[in-house]
Amino acid sequence: MTATPTTLPAQGPARSKRGWKRVKKARAPTIKYTALLIFAVIVLMPVYILIVTGFKGVAETDPAHAWSLPSIWSLSAWHEAWTQLSPYMLNSFKLAIPATILSTALGCLNGFALSKWRFPGADIVFTFFLFGMFIPYQAVMIPLTELLSKLHFPAQLPQLALAHIIYGIPITTLIFRNYYATIPEDLMEASRMDGAGMLRTLWSVVLPISIPAFVVAAIWQFTSIWNDFLFAVFIITDPSQYPVTVALNNTTGSLVSAYNLQMSAALLASLPTLVVYILLGRYFMRGLMAGALKG
Amino acid sequence: MAKIAINGLTKRYPNGFEAVKDLTLDIGEGELLVLVGPSGCGKTTALRMIAGLEEISEGDLFIGGQRMNDVLEKDRDIAMVFQNYALYPHMTVAQNIAFSLKLARRPRAEIKKRVHETAQLLAIEEMLDRRPKQLSGGQRQRVAMGRAIIREPQVFLMDEPLSNLDAKLRVQMRGEIDALQKRLGVTTVYVTHDQVEAMTMGDRVAVLRDGELQQVGTPSQIYERPANLFVASFIGSPPMNLAEAAITQVKNGLAVTLGETEIPIPRELAARNGLDAWVGKSVIAGIRPEDIYEASRKTAKFQAEMQVKIDRVESLGASVLGYFSVDAAAPRAESVSAIPAEEVLSEAPLTGISGTSFCATFEPRAMLKIGDSAEVALDLDRLHFFDPETDAALLVEDTVETKKKK
Amino acid sequence: MKNIRRWGPGLLLVSPSIILITIFVYGLIGWNVKVSLSNWRQAQPTSHYSGIGAYQDLNHDAAFRQSLAHLLVFTIVFALGTLIIGWTLALLLDKGVKGEGFFRAVFLFPMAISFIAAGIVWRWLMNPAPGNRATGLNVIFDKLGLHALANQWYLDSNPVIGGIRSWGMAAMAMPAIWALSGYVMALYLAGFRGVPEELREAARMDGASELRVYRHVVFPHLKPVTLAALIIIGHISIKIFDLMVAIGGKQGFNTQTPAVYMWIQIYDRSDFAKGAAIATLLLLLISVLVIPYLIYTVRSERRS
Repeated sequence: MTATPTTLPAQGPARSKRGWKRVKKARAPTIKYTALLIFAVIVLMPVYILIVTGFKGVAETDPAHAWSLPSIWSLSAWHEAWTQLSPYMLNSFKLAIPATILSTALGCLNGFALSKWRFPGADIVFTFFLFGMFIPYQAVMIPLTELLSKLHFPAQLPQLALAHIIYGIPITTLIFRNYYATIPEDLMEASRMDGAGMLRTLWSVVLPISIPAFVVAAIWQFTSIWNDFLFAVFIITDPSQYPVTVALNNTTGSLVSAYNLQMSAALLASLPTLVVYILLGRYFMRGLMAGALKG
Repeated sequence: MAKIAINGLTKRYPNGFEAVKDLTLDIGEGELLVLVGPSGCGKTTALRMIAGLEEISEGDLFIGGQRMNDVLEKDRDIAMVFQNYALYPHMTVAQNIAFSLKLARRPRAEIKKRVHETAQLLAIEEMLDRRPKQLSGGQRQRVAMGRAIIREPQVFLMDEPLSNLDAKLRVQMRGEIDALQKRLGVTTVYVTHDQVEAMTMGDRVAVLRDGELQQVGTPSQIYERPANLFVASFIGSPPMNLAEAAITQVKNGLAVTLGETEIPIPRELAARNGLDAWVGKSVIAGIRPEDIYEASRKTAKFQAEMQVKIDRVESLGASVLGYFSVDAAAPRAESVSAIPAEEVLSEAPLTGISGTSFCATFEPRAMLKIGDSAEVALDLDRLHFFDPETDAALLVEDTVETKKKK
Repeated sequence: MKNIRRWGPGLLLVSPSIILITIFVYGLIGWNVKVSLSNWRQAQPTSHYSGIGAYQDLNHDAAFRQSLAHLLVFTIVFALGTLIIGWTLALLLDKGVKGEGFFRAVFLFPMAISFIAAGIVWRWLMNPAPGNRATGLNVIFDKLGLHALANQWYLDSNPVIGGIRSWGMAAMAMPAIWALSGYVMALYLAGFRGVPEELREAARMDGASELRVYRHVVFPHLKPVTLAALIIIGHISIKIFDLMVAIGGKQGFNTQTPAVYMWIQIYDRSDFAKGAAIATLLLLLISVLVIPYLIYTVRSERRS
């Protein structure tokens, strides 16, 4: 006859140490999820307001309907916001895109030199740059506006772009330097032994593998420049050249504006950076980590 | 191919630490010289100074008769194979290999031809369109070699090219690299920490320790006539047995007392080692495990027998290693150890065995067990003697090349 | 010096940036200090040295001192809020949950939005109108029965002890916390995950409960992260300017921080020397925070 299989001892009561832990383990994720979801709702609450209020007609923006969904979904606020803001959004694009490209390029060159083709005092230069990232820009604003106006630019937007390029040097350099630090040193040595000088090495060996850093730096710069208010409000005095943040503040800053217009305008003005964020969010996070200076 | 002359090469860091001390070495045309030693001995630093990747603090480097101290690495006509291969990750194998030629602006047809020839030589033709991350370690290693070979340089430098490969592959590649080097005839400096690699590959071997050259010679010179205790114990696996021993005058000549055994020394051996000057004093005596064997196995011209008790057995398959204790002091740890001084345990560690452990080789059919009593014979012609103060070998012959003091 | 061929090119590559930063950061800072010491107190620029008059004015300026107090309250609430929430979120996400990518994306997205836009929404949320005319969060509080929390938010910067009529600057900190908690979360998450798993496993094998593993293995690792977070949040707090303007407007006295006050000096009063003086003080404040931190970071980077 076949041997009777040995049976495992029955599971102990749930109060035994192991059983308790198992029960706890099953419950813990749900607590986590609930907490996370609550936080997520809180964080997204303003988005809800932006979208919902933007779709309301003027009649529904009164306190009684503060949080409810619109009964009639109206596009009037969006239309109005677009009319008011689109020229300024164009300004912002004309500002942000060239400035992003140039400051990213500068950051690449600097980051490369400071990490992979070093020179005596490279660390000092890096700290020298870093401090520029932390200063309150108010501390240079007055002389900056003076200096820029003396440079006789044809228009004000290029002045603002120049400011962003220059003051973006520290953060883009940081991003590239930290990224290049992860490239093994022997890759540079192999390139040198193959006969390449610094620029050739940068062009043929380093640049092709720099895409992640470029994306991170570009996203970060584009977002910072698009969202900037301080520099714009000091440097641009000609209203037709305002970037969208200044225009947004002016047209909706007063409490007289209808809520639906305020919200739709705010959301519209944020759309480009939001789109960039949604599409390329994980690079955003990497840019954040670069700015953290893990000590 | 070119001769390399190194004279008093020193690498000193700002904090005063000297990674390479006064290294003087000549490497002949077409020779494969291996730099071997424990980690931290300066071999890689020396290699990098030849390459131009490290600044030379003192001394002169001549390649092909030209002084290279101030020449940039890209102008030295040297190719290097890196330990981690350093392949360009975004380029294909073909592009990796061709890169240096592209930089030299060679015509495209020539580049194509030479890439194919090199790939053929290394049997990597099928991989020319792949990227490094698609290759195995061994394949990457060959691409790294291809990148160096295609340049037809004066000198090849190889920085532990096999240490990232698994053991079997390493053995295979050793032979291939050796054959390749012979075929191409390019002067090669090869760095490794593996003394087996050093012995099997080099035309000559240079042993370094703590930045100082210990001995340079052919593998058999290094093996048969080690210049000092360190070389004696570093080269050869299992390592040479070493213990303090006293030289005494006996009836027919001299004898060396190893533990409780008094071993008469053949006259030629005593003369070769100048032992007359050591009567009444202690020396360090050494004998390799393969030169101690079961007495019944064979007879050497001069041999001495010892009765020993086995306290440890290691079976290697083709042979068996039997360990026994000799009641004699071991040499100072710093003299022989490849382990950094801080890590050496001053007390006999976990084995609880006192005295010095000696190793002898046995045939598997001896069926050795712990606790066995065995009669072993020592091949006296293969005894080595060392000065306990200076660690230097007592051998008087001139065929040993040692570090030349300037 | 014979090595110059080696590193010369590197230096050359950075030199344009060195020149630009020297001029536009350090040079302009110096110029700003000069302005603060000049007699440029009206729309026409002048540059005669006039001494520390502007600074003395600030010393006697009640509104300025008030703005410093506002900054203090704001910074404390801001820092505590972001650190606690960021840390909590990171802790929740540390072990990895399903949809972690989604949650991370949600918590970080406020960083993509300008403070002006955020200010517009939060101004609505923190509408001070009570009762029937309430909108924003006051409505939610009423509905949830948390009447005590409904208040006038940032309107009045003097919270009444006992019955909170208004949260003052603490209210202003809320949108800032909303905007930056995600960032602190990212920092802490990296910190949590930087703890080698073997350390945690060794502790578990030694018999530690998960709680103990966190307390004794993970949290000690987080000290540098907390320091970095504090420095970064602190310096943002000192600089931040557009959020206050978007919510309180220029005329909101109760929500002025030195940064806003500086703007007012320049645009409304054309008192450039005073504005420059405030800017210099802001710079000093940040330097005290940041310079030791920078030195510490570069040193520990060099050591490792």
